[in-house]
Amino acid sequence: MSETLRFVSDDLQLMALGFMAVVYILRIRWLLTFKASRDRQAKSENLSASSFKGIVYSWANVAMPWSMESTRRMSFFYAQFVVFHAAVAANIGMSFVIPYAPGLIKPIVVVRLLQTLFATACAIGCYRMYRRLTNPAIRLISTPDDLFSLALLTLWLFASVFAVQNRPDLGEGPLMVYFIMTAFFLVYVPFSKISHYLYYPFTRFYFGRTMGHRGVYPIKRVSQPKNAAAKG
Amino acid sequence: MAVRERSRKAQKFVEKMRKKLNRQMVGSLTACVHCGMCTESCHYVLSNPDDPTYAPAHKADQIRKIFKRNIDWTGRVFPWWVHAQDIRTDQDLETLKDIVFGKCTNCRRCSLNCPMGVDFATLNRMARGLLVSVGVMPEGVAVVSKDQWEVGNQMGVLPQDYLETLEWLSDELETEFKDPAARIPIDKMDAEIVYAINPREVKYDPRTITDAARIFYIAGENWTMPSDGWDMTNFGLFSGDDELGAAVAQRVYDKAIELRGKKLVLSECGHGYRSTRCEGPNWSGNSVPFVIESSVLTMLRYIEEGRIQVDKTRNKEVVTFHDSCNNARSCGFYEEPRELLNLLVTDFREMYPNRVENFCCTGGGGAMSMSEYTPQRLKSAKIKADQLKATGAKTVVTSCHNCVDGLTDVIRHYKLGMKVTQLVNLTANALVISEKVVLKDSIK
Repeated sequence: MSETLRFVSDDLQLMALGFMAVVYILRIRWLLTFKASRDRQAKSENLSASSFKGIVYSWANVAMPWSMESTRRMSFFYAQFVVFHAAVAANIGMSFVIPYAPGLIKPIVVVRLLQTLFATACAIGCYRMYRRLTNPAIRLISTPDDLFSLALLTLWLFASVFAVQNRPDLGEGPLMVYFIMTAFFLVYVPFSKISHYLYYPFTRFYFGRTMGHRGVYPIKRVSQPKNAAAKG
Repeated sequence: MAVRERSRKAQKFVEKMRKKLNRQMVGSLTACVHCGMCTESCHYVLSNPDDPTYAPAHKADQIRKIFKRNIDWTGRVFPWWVHAQDIRTDQDLETLKDIVFGKCTNCRRCSLNCPMGVDFATLNRMARGLLVSVGVMPEGVAVVSKDQWEVGNQMGVLPQDYLETLEWLSDELETEFKDPAARIPIDKMDAEIVYAINPREVKYDPRTITDAARIFYIAGENWTMPSDGWDMTNFGLFSGDDELGAAVAQRVYDKAIELRGKKLVLSECGHGYRSTRCEGPNWSGNSVPFVIESSVLTMLRYIEEGRIQVDKTRNKEVVTFHDSCNNARSCGFYEEPRELLNLLVTDFREMYPNRVENFCCTGGGGAMSMSEYTPQRLKSAKIKADQLKATGAKTVVTSCHNCVDGLTDVIRHYKLGMKVTQLVNLTANALVISEKVVLKDSIK
């Protein structure tokens, strides 16, 4: 491994990560400067209602596709979300594994699995870009940041298909591209929509707390036929 | 970063936005990822498939872009990158007004379908409040707000009209039961129940007052209605005006405290229930020292305790039930009306979807008072009309006066041939009244 690749895969990543962490801390501090409002309402008339249950239910929302009509109706879209985010998480993990624990991705079966995951996610990214550009409502709400973030992630996933082999002896190009993209990603993310995962705990906490206190969460599911009125 | 050429109202709007924002709102403003999952949860979108401007995320972005341009990071430095845009002119305010008042009923269906927990309905209400505070609002909102501030109720019912209405309703009840105890008590001290109503009942539908009075009388309840502070509806919820919301709610609480009532019971009204029971304490900043209950629970309890008896065979029509958005999605109040309904009718058909996933009557959020938006409101009601038609029911039951009007408009516009009624009417119709009504000592 050349000194440049070592720097790019190690020092540069740590610098970018440090920068991202500082910006995230400042961002959370900024969010916390806004006062959180209370819900003074008396306990719900639904005796089993509780803020705690609401918070847990709300936080778990991302893992309960049956809980929202939108994810039930768009189940394939939800499956894409799962694969895409699993790939991003695996990719983030890989950016640490390659420099610090390369033995973990030495077995060929691991390499192939990750390549399949990254390639599938890359294809999903391409589909999502197509959707953003062709669906009128999604196109209307898409900003340059939305498009660039999606493009960046899709290309990063594409690069990772080649980087996962971790064979600098066969050419350092794929690893260089991968780690430079990762560093850029870490620096760009705090200022983009990709940082949505930072807000998820907060938005879902407050929404869940209110909905739980009022007995809306957890939502009671009742099986219901789609096309005909059911006996109540 | 200085902004040139902002009108006085636009300047005030931005200044007030900075002060109004709380952590929940900022979270909702920053967390949207523009995934579009909320899009098809909105009845406006489903009924206007060719108009993408109805998408909840797009509507939210009209508020969000102002926040991004003036308060958020990236939007202040690279506004074009995140579609941040300032509000500069009075025309910008008018455009925003048509969106937040005319293209959304604050039904919260999108909020419950957002993976990120973005509560657009709360953002929409915030924007409404900011516009109202700078004097930009639909005429109907101004008129109703003024009535609620000055007259004490949102339909401008004068005190003598209210009291005279209760007087002649009492005359009828006394004649019906041949008992002066059947009269509606007014300002009775230390009653178990203080009953607050929707002014629509006084103005347009006094039989709901009579029906409630019958039920209280047969149940032997120690109850009263207040001479003022009787309007439990609250236009502050619709207009986004927290000051109005607090003042109206506090008026009701103060009267109940003055009368030393044990419990405040609210007639069937979704936004009234939500405003008085849930949001009022938040707006006023005070907790309430008594129990607040929906009359639905009161009637259910009477039946379960045997204080009244009902015969469901008196309500034989096929009925369906519409969930008021404010009851279901903001207060978790959707099973109890069904429990009661199942005791009152022989043939109840659920509509699909129902409970927290039900569609708005399309008359919510103050829409019924904004006649300039009526054509788009009725066009956007198509999904609701289809929902009603699919049940095959001849009657739709709801627990909200606003929904009664909203659904009546939908039924008339789409020629569905249905009627709308409320649980209190069904309960009164199903009442089994013995020949000799035994009065409890507490109401003598």
